[in-house]
Amino acid sequence: MEKMARVSTALGGNTLTGRTMFCHLDAPANAISVCRDAAQVVVAGRNIFKIYSIEEEQFVEKLNLRVGRKPSLNFSCADVVWHQMDENLLATAATNGVVVTWNLGKPSRNKQDQLFTEHKRTVNKVCFHPTEVYMLLSGSQDGYMKCFDLRKKDSVSTFSGQSESVRDVQFSIRDYFTFAATFENGNVQLWDIRRPDRYERMFTAHNGPVFCCDWHPEDRGWLATGGRDKMVKVWDMNTTRAKEIYCVQTIASVARVKWRPECKHHIATCSMMVDHNIYVWDVRRPFIPSAMFEEHKDVTTGIVWRHLHDPYFLLSGSKDSTLYQHIFKDASQPIDRANPEGLCYSLYGDLAFAAKESLISSDSNRKPYIGDRRHPIFFKRKLDPTEQFEYISSSSALSVFETDVESGSMDWFVHTAKQYALAGRPLAELCDHNAKVAKGLDRNQVAQTWTMLRIIYSSLGTMSSTNLNHSMGKGSTTLPLMNSFNLKDIPSGLGSESRLDRSKGESRTENILMDSSSTLINNEDNEETEGSDVPADYLLGDVEADEDDLYMMDHENPHAEEQEYSLPQEAFPLRHEIVDNPSALDHLQDKADSPHVSGNEAETVSLTPVESFSLISISHSLYENRLPSDFFNPIVRDTLLFYAEQGDVQTAVSVLIVLGDRIRKEIDEQTQEHWYTSYIDLLQRFQLWNISNEVIKLSTCRAINCLNQASTTLHINCSNCKRPMSNRGWICDRCRQCASMCAVCHHVVKGLFVWCQGCSHGGHLQHIMKWLETSSHCPAGCGHLCEYT
Amino acid sequence: MFVARSIAADHRDLIHDVSFDFHGRRMATCSSDQSVKVWDKSENGDWHCTASWKTHSGSVWRVTWAHPEFGQVLASCSFDRTAAVWEEIVGESNDKLRGQSHWVKRTTLVDSRTSVTDVKFAPKHMGLMLATCSADGVVRIYEAPDVMNLSQWSLQHEISCKLSCSCISWNPSSSRAHSPMIAVGSDDNSPNILAKVQIYEYNENTRKYAKAEALMTVTDPVHDIAFAPNLGRSFHILAVATKDVRIFTLKPLRKELTSSGGLTKFEIHIVAQFDNHNSQVWRVSWNITGTVLASSGDDGCVRLWKANYMDNWKCTGILKGNGSPVNGSSQQGIFNTSLGSANASLQNSLNGSSASRKQS
Repeated sequence: MEKMARVSTALGGNTLTGRTMFCHLDAPANAISVCRDAAQVVVAGRNIFKIYSIEEEQFVEKLNLRVGRKPSLNFSCADVVWHQMDENLLATAATNGVVVTWNLGKPSRNKQDQLFTEHKRTVNKVCFHPTEVYMLLSGSQDGYMKCFDLRKKDSVSTFSGQSESVRDVQFSIRDYFTFAATFENGNVQLWDIRRPDRYERMFTAHNGPVFCCDWHPEDRGWLATGGRDKMVKVWDMNTTRAKEIYCVQTIASVARVKWRPECKHHIATCSMMVDHNIYVWDVRRPFIPSAMFEEHKDVTTGIVWRHLHDPYFLLSGSKDSTLYQHIFKDASQPIDRANPEGLCYSLYGDLAFAAKESLISSDSNRKPYIGDRRHPIFFKRKLDPTEQFEYISSSSALSVFETDVESGSMDWFVHTAKQYALAGRPLAELCDHNAKVAKGLDRNQVAQTWTMLRIIYSSLGTMSSTNLNHSMGKGSTTLPLMNSFNLKDIPSGLGSESRLDRSKGESRTENILMDSSSTLINNEDNEETEGSDVPADYLLGDVEADEDDLYMMDHENPHAEEQEYSLPQEAFPLRHEIVDNPSALDHLQDKADSPHVSGNEAETVSLTPVESFSLISISHSLYENRLPSDFFNPIVRDTLLFYAEQGDVQTAVSVLIVLGDRIRKEIDEQTQEHWYTSYIDLLQRFQLWNISNEVIKLSTCRAINCLNQASTTLHINCSNCKRPMSNRGWICDRCRQCASMCAVCHHVVKGLFVWCQGCSHGGHLQHIMKWLETSSHCPAGCGHLCEYT
Repeated sequence: MFVARSIAADHRDLIHDVSFDFHGRRMATCSSDQSVKVWDKSENGDWHCTASWKTHSGSVWRVTWAHPEFGQVLASCSFDRTAAVWEEIVGESNDKLRGQSHWVKRTTLVDSRTSVTDVKFAPKHMGLMLATCSADGVVRIYEAPDVMNLSQWSLQHEISCKLSCSCISWNPSSSRAHSPMIAVGSDDNSPNILAKVQIYEYNENTRKYAKAEALMTVTDPVHDIAFAPNLGRSFHILAVATKDVRIFTLKPLRKELTSSGGLTKFEIHIVAQFDNHNSQVWRVSWNITGTVLASSGDDGCVRLWKANYMDNWKCTGILKGNGSPVNGSSQQGIFNTSLGSANASLQNSLNGSSASRKQS
């Protein structure tokens, strides 16, 4: 009601009422114009020229101006305008270059009044003078503008733009003598009606054609222009040089612009291509339309505000042969749907939060939203043009909430991943180690799980004599030492060495896997024979350790001969040796098995005070009852499932790897694969490449195992002679130089070798990093600006 | 404990989306001012804007990162009815000296006739795919058959949702047991009681996406939707931002039990529903393990939700956007969580440092 009251005062008692409505036209419309009293609208097009009256509920056809048998081209209208002072007077611009005036007061059916056939090509625009009854202006494709006095037969004056076709002409509303014309070459000209020889002023407004312009109804200095470059620009013409004060970027070329009455900063636009919607923009907020009318199914060709002083009713005609009346209340407001907030959780538990300033400003603590903002989508505010956009210069505040180390961050994950031992040691040690890691990170439940796993799976073996235990203890400590050493090496990335050791580790695990069936049998054997063959094992283990030591020795003095660096040649034979070695195989079985460790159990239990007393007693009873080793498997399986469901896939996968075949059969392959892929993905997110690679290697799923063997080919060029290297070793066949020299220290690089793909020079990772801190050029002096990504 | 670090974003209009990359080292923001900015984290934890460019000729609603395996790639979608794919170019230009990086447009996806409201890359194991949804209710799934060529995308699927779409989320599960699945939220505000969350699943037999489920209980406009990172779970967790925060679990029923058509049937439970924001909820985001949900609403607060060992979801923290203390945060509890220390002592205390914030 409030709105209507405003309207009625503005219109001097003549209230506009109505709703969103439309009517079908017989043909596509090219232009529309309203009568001064806002009760009638004229629609013109190639095949239509009709007057409709705007009733409360509908449009009613009043008059068809296309009369006569043979339709003349004079009826084919590109533009139509209804005089704002004389409600009987209309003018049309015909596509054949004729300007026609129509007098509705004529008694005959044919209302055609005058015919001006002066333009040679299509007339794009006609415009009546806002206060002078008889003055009519036209702009044509032929590049001329003509001013007609309707009392005379011919034009009064002709204005030549001296540039391309005229797209729009508009009399200034306040300056009696001034009009603006827009051109296809992007120019806008201002003319004084009294001086047809030369424009007053010209400026380039757009890239490409300027299709339309509109003078601000109140502010005499403002001219809005719209062009094919999808922009609407508002120019302040008061200054000597036209100054662009606002620029609105729309999504399609702008065909029409119309200032919204009574709203200083609002302007309606429609497009001539692609986009069928009508937008109303607040030029102060040029990025997002304040209102949008989406009714038309084809290009909107004409828009006009129904009344000079009413901002709520908009009429539009379209190529889809409809005439619409839009009510502002029914407009969709994109900003209402727009998300005022952005929120994202980072990997490390940081939260990025962007929110509209007004939402988080401190005075919003008053909780104003409970009532009125609860359903803001359903609730359309009454549009009061004065305060329609209370946050006209909307902006967002961006902040990142950083978790500190202790609480929410994901550091525990990284630490756990780095510190867990997954293979290469007896089960009990792995479990103990991992329990300790978990404990150290205050993850008591996980620590407990590891401890229980150790008890479950290590105590099922033989409880041997102390002597034996002792020796076994020794055996099992020497080897893990080796392994831990290897693992430590891997991150530091000593290429050939670590590769070698890894291949050994691989073969070990492979052996374990291969003999998965025999392991259990072997285990039982052990129980029966009370470890009689264990001493032999120990010896074999010793032998293997020695072998390892030998290899290690080899690598400690690697400069003995260059052949040493040709990794592939050396690595593979060795690997085969190990695999073929039956003693190693036996040993490996046992190492992975329980009997070794069982003796140490009491000791380790006492070392970990976390454990409750009851757990120890359980372990004893287990041993005494000689439960089958898979007795607990369902429980363990459920434990793993529990961890997975809790989002702790790390624990699930780690246990899976450590327990290996003991539990593998219990969980279906697909789930295991799922866990592996999830965990590997997580590790890679944290850029723990080495660990992820280790997990891939240790996994027992075929699909996972092949992950790090897929589609990675390195083509290597010799850094010396720039020719492709044959894939045998690191010595270039042609220039007999070692290819992998560090360009900084000139030593052969073993381990991580980083090189520029542009110039193929490189070297030790650390050296290159250091070098690049001071220089961006290649350390080899080749002058290349190296790129390392 | 959270420490608020305020960043002078310098966008000239509302920021609609913030997105971290795969490794959490980079951040992208998009705004109504038609631009996207990329932020890189420096050694000391500061965020520096390393790129800012005009991406669209309308409001940019969403920005999202591709898996780094495909390069440094962003996708954005806009009111201008397009979605675009951007790639960072490392070249020997002066950009590097100024600490700026250069992003080039690789493709524009122009199939939509209305505003494109969301764009999301598919999980990596599906290849280089992305899904868009638009206000006219169409979800489009594109694929780049050659991952090395980011300028060629073919439209693989068009799913008509019948309702204006506002958000989509891929199911991130990498399990072979879970077919590709996408959840679509609608912000349709007409007073109907249609389900505003629909779940589409890829059917191997028909090679099409078909509607697997609709969350009938969600009838209010949905602003955001997010599957939790799966991490080996057998079921899926879905967070929905509507007039409140809702968390659903979707347990796939065994294939044997599902009758025909190859579509998975789900046992859907709503496990949590919170209206603490007292207003529209605009965004939901999961932490990396899918154990903590963050939501933000019209009250300008971020609330954190976490399940305890009984699977009861509780508020574990409230963060105020401007760093001022929050009243009524006593409802938060501290739990002994099954993940140990992970997020057990999440607190709401904030040391606001809003020095650089502009006031409008």
